[in-house]
Amino acid sequence: MRTLVLGAGAIGGYMGGRLHQSGADVTFLVRPARREALQRDGLVIKSTKGDITQQVKTVLGGAEGGPYDLVILTCKAYDLDSAIEAVAPAVKPGATVVPLLNGMRHLDVLDARFGAANVSGGLARVGVAMSPKGEILHTSPFAAVSFGERDGKPGRPALVELDAAVKKSGLDGGLHGNIIQDLWDKWIMLCTLAAMCCLMRGTSGDILEAAEGQAIMFETAEECRKVAAAAGCDPGETGMSTVRAFFSHKGSRFAASMLHDLEKGTMVEADHIVGDMIARAKKAGIATPNLRMSYAHLQVYLARRARGGIGKPAM
Amino acid sequence: MKILILGAGAVGGYWGARLTQAGIDTTFLLREKRAALVKANGLVVKSPKGDFTVPVKVVTRGDSGGPYDVVILACKGYDLDSAIASIAPAVGPDTTIVPMLNGHAHFATLDAKFGPARVAGGLARISGMLGPNGEILHSGASGVSFGERHGTAPRKALVDLDAACKKAGIDGGLNPDINQDLWDKWVMLGTIASMCAAMRGTVGDIVAAEDGAALVRETLDECCQVAAAAGHAPSAKVRAGLESGLTQPGGKAVASILGDMEKGGAVEARSIVGDMLMRARKAGVAAPNLRFAYAHLQAYEARRARGGLKS
Repeated sequence: MRTLVLGAGAIGGYMGGRLHQSGADVTFLVRPARREALQRDGLVIKSTKGDITQQVKTVLGGAEGGPYDLVILTCKAYDLDSAIEAVAPAVKPGATVVPLLNGMRHLDVLDARFGAANVSGGLARVGVAMSPKGEILHTSPFAAVSFGERDGKPGRPALVELDAAVKKSGLDGGLHGNIIQDLWDKWIMLCTLAAMCCLMRGTSGDILEAAEGQAIMFETAEECRKVAAAAGCDPGETGMSTVRAFFSHKGSRFAASMLHDLEKGTMVEADHIVGDMIARAKKAGIATPNLRMSYAHLQVYLARRARGGIGKPAM
Repeated sequence: MKILILGAGAVGGYWGARLTQAGIDTTFLLREKRAALVKANGLVVKSPKGDFTVPVKVVTRGDSGGPYDVVILACKGYDLDSAIASIAPAVGPDTTIVPMLNGHAHFATLDAKFGPARVAGGLARISGMLGPNGEILHSGASGVSFGERHGTAPRKALVDLDAACKKAGIDGGLNPDINQDLWDKWVMLGTIASMCAAMRGTVGDIVAAEDGAALVRETLDECCQVAAAAGHAPSAKVRAGLESGLTQPGGKAVASILGDMEKGGAVEARSIVGDMLMRARKAGVAAPNLRFAYAHLQAYEARRARGGLKS
């Protein structure tokens, strides 16, 4: 099985690096500057599960080095269009695209471009970032990937092989029997966390210190749950109690990566993670006052960023 | 008439500098560090109405230089307790205190300490901030408003203060309906502070969001309902003026609380937003936007308290 990973950034670099380390045939599609750095320094992973520096296979274009059985996409949603253009030459008949993006909207875009039969569902759960030097810094105790057929059928051979490779590599997770539910479960958690950390500009622990912080976070999770339920993917009480427990840790220093992005003044997946949840709520007739407030906050950030006003005094 | 002003920040400093310039007997009560700077340099004012520097009278203890007819309090809400302790020795039986704080919460505290008869109502519409060298950077409006809170004819001290303001070129002055003016200002401030803080942007930035103008209007409505419950709904004209100013596309207007937050400073969360929300609850007014804003400010304060603002 041959796998192409688009980019060697935080998630793609970590996942692809671990698969490569355990003997899987992995190629990274990268830009020239990244290739040069990888050839010079190797792919450097610093991880709670052990550090490693290794040489990896790279290509500069999707037409090189194929054919591929799997094409893994780990881009940010706002880079999806350029990511599609980059991988398109690698997605030949028989290839399966495995997107590890947040949210759901990208699936429609990928289906339209490559055909629904060639796009599986997928997601990653991992705390990982890129250092300015290009090292992959994995900080969470876990590093999970989840993927599967979106119609709930048994995985096609390429996904079964990927599952075996994931298990061999020590990554958590693997082939999932109900990847759509897993996508919703992750989106509910992520949307709540991102919406709240950004709207309140603090960690979940900071928000808990506000008199009504916990109530506001729980309401937001409930808004997301209703949207999921309208799509037939209610996580149920068990799922929601996990979400609520996450937002109940006093003193938690955990914040959505979107908050770090806001504080660095970079682009954010506002439309994909929060805006699209609201759009689906509206279609289903669900009121989402908390998400609305948060989305306005994110749009204000983007407006201020667009006028060059981030990092300068507002006054 | 002898005036004592606590603090020489943007409001007290600008006002007192103008009064001094006009020959009114004005003294500043300052902390040691600020006192030394002001004694050495005078008050340095940079203003669209003309820059000037004026030597001023400075004391560092409330029992010096009195008795005073008027004591002007121009501190922040979170500094009220220490401000009261500082001015207490300067407040004699015939002294009138003119507080220029935002909101309403300080009146209960001042009344309890000095008796309601000695506490007038007051507010400032002076925009500005302190520069890096302690200079007063005045940026526009230069109005004050003060008056009796209990509907009586104004006492002599307030009439004299009004005359002094006019002589000094300060706009506004004695207001026969200071309570309404206090609510009008609080409604404005409650709205802009809530929105600029919770959204972290200027009016123009907020209005650029799809629902931004709607959120501002809703928040304004929440504050107007609270004012109405207190018998002080803003007039239709005042409300319309606020609404158009706070929803102006590209508007550069911004609440000073956002500047404070972006510097990592203390904020008047409770007196401007929290107290408005509390009054909404008491009056049975649903105030969802004020609730978000107050939670935002409390999360900010929690993060500030743990030293977590520098990432």
